[in-house]
Formats: sequence, structure tokens, C-alpha cells
Amino acid sequence: MTWGRILISRFFIVPIVLLVAIAGWNVYVELHAHGLLQGRVVDAAGHPVPNATVILSVHDFVTQVEKARTRTDRAGRFRFDDNNSHLIQLEAQSGTASSPRVTVRLWFRGQDRTIAEPLRLPPSA
Amino acid sequence: MRHKLRHAALVAISVIMLAPFYWVLKTAVTSENIYEYPPHLLPVRPQLFNFVDVWYLIPFPRYLFNSVIVSLIAVAGNLVLNAMAGYALTLPFIGRRSVIILLLSCTLIPFQATIIPAYLITAHFGLLDSYLGLALPLLSTIVCIFIFKASFDAVPRSLIDAARIDGLGELRILLRVMLPLSTPAIATNVVLSFIWSWNNFLWPLIITRSPDMQTLPLGLARFLSYMEDTTGALYAFVVMVLAPGLLVFLMAQSAFMRGLTTGATKG
Repeated sequence: MTWGRILISRFFIVPIVLLVAIAGWNVYVELHAHGLLQGRVVDAAGHPVPNATVILSVHDFVTQVEKARTRTDRAGRFRFDDNNSHLIQLEAQSGTASSPRVTVRLWFRGQDRTIAEPLRLPPSA
Repeated sequence: MRHKLRHAALVAISVIMLAPFYWVLKTAVTSENIYEYPPHLLPVRPQLFNFVDVWYLIPFPRYLFNSVIVSLIAVAGNLVLNAMAGYALTLPFIGRRSVIILLLSCTLIPFQATIIPAYLITAHFGLLDSYLGLALPLLSTIVCIFIFKASFDAVPRSLIDAARIDGLGELRILLRVMLPLSTPAIATNVVLSFIWSWNNFLWPLIITRSPDMQTLPLGLARFLSYMEDTTGALYAFVVMVLAPGLLVFLMAQSAFMRGLTTGATKG
């Protein structure tokens, strides 16, 4: 079998395509896995809630463990810099009010993500 | 008309046979329970996060690496040892018929019956909990020896005689003449040894001691003990285990079929 035939055979092309895809994916992961997670907290009327506590919990097989907390700024924005999980839950608290827990699923550990839908506190907040 | 009917019947049988695979795939890309009633024929809210869960919740890359290494060793061993054994069985020697009968008789013995001696031999060589030990029982398989033998039997004797006259030794005849003419048999050996090694459960279960040496089928059993209700992730794992074997089979499919039928029309 000549080199030309080997290079155009599926036994060469399929593994090469897979290797290129895997390499490309790993490069993408490397460039987008800083653990940055950001979003907003709003009240029932949609106004930003400053100084609210946002709790980040990590899912395991059966457990859910709190990993980090942060506070919102004056515009109601929050930010976590060191998330290293792919399956997390976020919850906002302000005074005695808590938002529903929001599950965030990421494509890889520590994926940088801006959560489009804000955490919404109930009317009593 | 008869041709169309036959075709329709074959399509119907194919659909029935592929239905379980479709159901596994469908469950893998949804969060449905496989026993959900009423069942949905099409996936509801399909997503691929179950595959991400499998990748991270258990040491999947480690299992994958172990399975790949063990399968590569098994494939390499099968190609080398089976080709040599198959070629030896095409040559005339005293007791050849007895050896063939002995080998064929051995195919009647189930692997489970020989597992204790196999374990003791592996332990004697100090290969427990090692990649070579994991691949050892599949380094040569009788079925694959006879696939090579059938393929080598189909090569004209005059070609081998010509090679001998040109001064080639037996090993070079095997490498330069027989194997290049037996690519379907090689493909069949690769596919069968890869799939048998990839799916092997009992032997790795017995000889692995550390979790780091476990292969994908053991990982699947371990995963089952963790994930009883999240069926989507479970079936995503099944798909991830099935995919490499399926890929190898699809790549070598045509040569595999030819390899299995080589020698059937000898003469």
C-alpha cells in the first residue's frame, strides 16, 4: 500500500479528524476556563438589588455543597472568579428573602459564563 | 415486486433490531426515565449535559485510557500471535490434525471454567493489576487463529513455493506474502479482538485491585451503583462505552465481512 493510499484511507482520516477535533476542543476549553461566573440579582419589579448575598453551591452525585459566597454591587451584579465545577446552583438572599435556586450546567469545569436570566427575589425583599 | 417485499421486510427487521439502540440514545440526550409512561418516541428537550456529567462525576478519562491501552495490547497480541499460529497450521507437520482438533475442542470450554487457572498463571507472572495482565487472556483467540488459517489456505501454494525458491524464510513469507494478501483477515482480527477486549467485564473485575486500573465496563458497573435514578447520565455512559467499538466496526465493516467469509468458497 502506497503512502498516498494510506493518507486517503478512512483508517487514517477518521483518527486524524478525531484528534483535530479533540485538540480544538481542548484549546477552546483552555481559553475559556477561568472559573468566571457573573450575573445579576433583581427584585420582583425587575430593579437591581444591591448588597444581596449570592451563594454558589456545587452538585455531586447526591450532595450539594456550598462553595462560595459573594455580594452584589450597586447595579445588582455579582461575580465569582474561582468556580471549578460544571454543575452548580445559585441562590440570592437579601434580608429574609431568597430567590429560587437556579441550576447552571456548564460544558466544562470552570467555564466562563454570564448568566442571562437574573436571579429574581420574591416581592417581600 | 418480490425484491421490493424482501427489501421492506429487511428494513422492518432492521428497525426492530435498532430500536433498543435508539431508545438508549434517546434516553442519553434527555432527562427522561427509560420506563417513563407514556413513552415519547422523540426526545423531549434534548441536551448533551448528561455526557458532561459522566465525564466529570466519575474518573471517565482514566477508565477510557485503561480500556484503550488494554484493547491496543489485545489487538497487537492477536495480530502477531494469531497470524503466526494460523500460518503454522497451514504448514505440514506431524500431529497437525491433532493440534487443530485440540484447538477446536478448546472452543467448547467456556472462559468461566478456565478463569481460576488463568488467574493463577497471571498471578505467577506477577501481572495482576497490570495492563498486560488485563489483556493476557485475549492475546490470542482460537476463532481468530482459524480466520487467519482460512485466509492463508486461500493463498495459492505456488506463490509460497516461489517465495521459498527466492530464499525467503517462513517468517518473511508470513510478513511479505501472506499478510499483505490477507487484509480482510487482519481487519476481522482487529475488530473482533478490539470488541471482545473493550467489552470484557469478568476478567478485569477479577484481576484489578486498584480503582485506577479499572476499565470502562467496570466503571459502568460502578456508575450503576451511584446513579439509580438519573437514567439520562447512565445511558450517556452506555453510549460513550459503545461508541469506540461501533466506530472501529464501521471503519472495518467491509473488510470484516470479507474476512469472515474467506475460505468459504475455496477451490
